[in-house]
Amino acid sequence: MDLPRLTLPASAESITAFREFVRQGAAAAGIASEDMERLDLVLEEILINVARYAYTPEKGLVEVAYAREGPGRLRVEIGDWGRVFNPLEADPPDLSRGLMDRPIGGLGVFLVRSMVESIDYRREDSRNILSFTFPNLAPTS
Amino acid sequence: MTIEPTELDRAVLLKVTGRMDADNAHEFEEACQHWITHGTKHLIADLDGLQYVSSMGLRSFLSVAQKLQAISGSLILCGLHGLPRQVFELTRLIGLFPVFETAQQAIATL
Repeated sequence: MDLPRLTLPASAESITAFREFVRQGAAAAGIASEDMERLDLVLEEILINVARYAYTPEKGLVEVAYAREGPGRLRVEIGDWGRVFNPLEADPPDLSRGLMDRPIGGLGVFLVRSMVESIDYRREDSRNILSFTFPNLAPTS
Repeated sequence: MTIEPTELDRAVLLKVTGRMDADNAHEFEEACQHWITHGTKHLIADLDGLQYVSSMGLRSFLSVAQKLQAISGSLILCGLHGLPRQVFELTRLIGLFPVFETAQQAIATL
């Protein structure tokens, strides 16, 4: 597929460039400006996971591509060449726990799932590929 | 992100402005830790100027609140709106913090 795509090192320092790249596609697809911060959050959570779990301790690249999927809809694909890592397999966080029992982590994937539609993971040609459609038109909350 | 502290009688007010993300969430935690180390038990985070918070930011809020709870203190939130309010609500963290509309209301409870 000949989609707009950007490849950069998988690290926190790349998040700003990816954010600007995907925001261009989102604006062209007609995504409302008040949705942009949710899109930023989805990207950040996924990219941080790639840097932390697919590549630790080694370093590697991550590629983000997008395609317009109808009015106000964007399909985004995030791929890396790291070890097999499917973030969607993580157990959902227990949101009923009190302050002192609440685990400190595990909320990133939960937030991603609540803000996108049709998210799915595949392993293809030694790559992890996570793709989703934004925004979620049927919010779960 | 900027964090602007104001010392009050019984608390420290931290005005947080901008975006709290994977890159800088630790700065909020460090700022809170500084005041905890200096004997502050109640921190009020004024989030009226906070536009964005990701899960790394949520971790910082949770970690600080747990430290304060352990010394019978509290992390009080006010001014939550937009995306930050949405993520606190989705994760049901909002029920774990005292939350007020304005800093004045939060201060009045201490």
